Amino acid sequence: MLKRSQKNYTYTGYLYILPWVIGFLLLQLVPLVNSLWYSFTQFQLLGDPKFLGLANYKKIFTADATFLQSLKVTFYYVLIAVPLKIGFALLVAIILNQKIKGINLFRTLYYIPSILGGSVAISVLWKYLFMNQGVINNIIATIGIPAIDWLGNPSLALGTISLVTIWQFGSSMLLFLAGLKQIPVSLYEAARIDGAGRMRIFFKITIPELSPIVLFNLIMQMINAFQDFTSAFVITQGGPLKSTYLYGLMLYDQGFKFFKMGYASALSWILFAIILFFTSLTFRSSESWVHYGDSI
Amino acid sequence: MKRMLILLLIAFLAMGTVFATGSKEVAKEDGPVTLRLSWWGGDSRHTPTLAAMDAYMAKNPNVKLEGEYGGWDGYYQKLVTQIAGGTAADIIQIDQPWLAELSSKGDVFTVIDDSMVDLSQFDAAFLKNYCSYDGKLMGLPTGTNVNTFVVDTKMLADFGIDPNTKWTWENIISEGKKINEQDPSSYFSGATPDNLRAWLEIYIAQLAGAVVDDNKQVAFTEAQGTEAFTYFKRWFDEGIIAPFRQTSLFYQKFQENPDWINGKMAAARIFVSSMEKDFAGRPNFETRQFPVMDGAVNTGILMRPSQIFVVNNNSKNKDEAIKLLAYLFTDAEAIEKLGLARGIPSTAIGRSVLAEKGMISEMVEKATNEGIAQAGDPQSVYQMNSEVIQVMQDVIDEFGFGRLTPEEASAKLIKNLEATLASL
Repeated sequence: MLKRSQKNYTYTGYLYILPWVIGFLLLQLVPLVNSLWYSFTQFQLLGDPKFLGLANYKKIFTADATFLQSLKVTFYYVLIAVPLKIGFALLVAIILNQKIKGINLFRTLYYIPSILGGSVAISVLWKYLFMNQGVINNIIATIGIPAIDWLGNPSLALGTISLVTIWQFGSSMLLFLAGLKQIPVSLYEAARIDGAGRMRIFFKITIPELSPIVLFNLIMQMINAFQDFTSAFVITQGGPLKSTYLYGLMLYDQGFKFFKMGYASALSWILFAIILFFTSLTFRSSESWVHYGDSI
Repeated sequence: MKRMLILLLIAFLAMGTVFATGSKEVAKEDGPVTLRLSWWGGDSRHTPTLAAMDAYMAKNPNVKLEGEYGGWDGYYQKLVTQIAGGTAADIIQIDQPWLAELSSKGDVFTVIDDSMVDLSQFDAAFLKNYCSYDGKLMGLPTGTNVNTFVVDTKMLADFGIDPNTKWTWENIISEGKKINEQDPSSYFSGATPDNLRAWLEIYIAQLAGAVVDDNKQVAFTEAQGTEAFTYFKRWFDEGIIAPFRQTSLFYQKFQENPDWINGKMAAARIFVSSMEKDFAGRPNFETRQFPVMDGAVNTGILMRPSQIFVVNNNSKNKDEAIKLLAYLFTDAEAIEKLGLARGIPSTAIGRSVLAEKGMISEMVEKATNEGIAQAGDPQSVYQMNSEVIQVMQDVIDEFGFGRLTPEEASAKLIKNLEATLASL
């Protein structure tokens, strides 16, 4: 039995989180449940949904070639963008962890791309940098390399789009930087006394000590990459030849271009399942490679 | 436990993906005489429209008008979401293909009849063919928009091509190829993949009447499709059109292609309504007749309303909304204030008021008249369906990137169209 004052205390706590709970119920849970229901219906936004059972899912898995293409593109995208982004963020974090004059300025500068975010303006900028007559081709022309169809060649476009994501490495970098600061100096000193070289120290101390942050970054970036939309939508609209037709883009087309909300809902639940699967997998695997401070 | 909590938190984050469909908002009830108007456009449309609205408010102090305007991108998506949520404006500017697409899903728009607006001001066939659904008039056309074929006369002359050439499908190739032969970075046509789709639709319409007919059937044969694709393969092979890898980035925005802006492409198929924008500052364009093959069943040249104004069936003030429409379309003051914001007006009074004031640009008038003279049958609602358009575009992309031969492209187009049409 709780005492009266304890009870009041509990209610006060609930009261504090009430705005979030209301927000969650109305703005997240209701749409979530709705979209699950829509995924079993034919729903064209106007008019009422018609129950179809599993027909949407069946069509997606058996009769939609675009689904497979889009899934393939999305996996490639995640595989290219996520490791490169994390690797790059780590590299820059290590550089920015050195004691150099004006280091704070550099840290700010390197974080700026992330403040700009995956915005439309950045995507437009990217388009103009990498188009045939763009800045990049002009630069490489000065050293005698002929123009490259960065965004027009189906084999190159996805890589070019991935660069936007990789370039926005700032938030991952910041976490790595914080992590690097947390590593006890004594570990490095001990290793050096024992005669360990730079590489050995990096792989035996820095990486294991940072592994919880690598895990966090990996999961967050993976989820983001699976859901990515803006750059492909603005720069290439999924083309050329659907080579940048990310899952998010297909979802948008089905929902807002063809107004097949039921079908789009089914697609989004499949994406949810895919993300959940890979997140769990990463978590499972983390037991063998993530070291928490207390387990060393 | 902690790990479970983290998993749960991440699960919620991931759930962000399932927001493709939002929940319905409850319709807001505005005051009895507040009317909202929504349209897309640029400043050249916004300013005159707002001026006409001000003039109406001055005459009708009990009515308050609110404009909701912006660019074209995302307008349709926002509109459909608003209609579904019951928050769309009272008077809405729509694009002609949306009329059937939206009307087929319910009583979205108010039916308009002669007792509300003086319909004799409009061309009856135009209202019937382009602004009606199921035999009922759903909206009023702002102006007449037609396809036009424009050529840069100076560029043609520079490459030794007679700028006054009467274009045929054959001499587009035999004359047009002179440009790329002399300068490998220049081309006769500025067509991007979506433009080529429009050209293909014209070609097939001339061969077979239409791509998709009113009965939801593919209207051309595989042989006719092959003939069309074989012709356009020559556009690529003989340097009439730039390779898709150079133009696909400008899908639906060919006028933003630096090669177009810098005068490396000589001709384009455009709509009169966007003529000024499409010229991208190049001064030497003139309009020409489209090529039409001998014995063509249909010219395939598109004519449609520039836009259509509809009244939201959900509006609380339908009568007031229609009164405002009548003002915008038939009142001399409004006509003058609106000017050419939406193309040459589709009403007789609109044209006469603007002509009297000398407000109609000679080029726009010429292009419109030529277009009307050459216009073909209206496209079926199925051919304008966004999924059908996507099917055509996907096949054209594969063809343009050299992944399909003309025979394969024709077979695939028919197969995919049939599958999509069956699901509509």
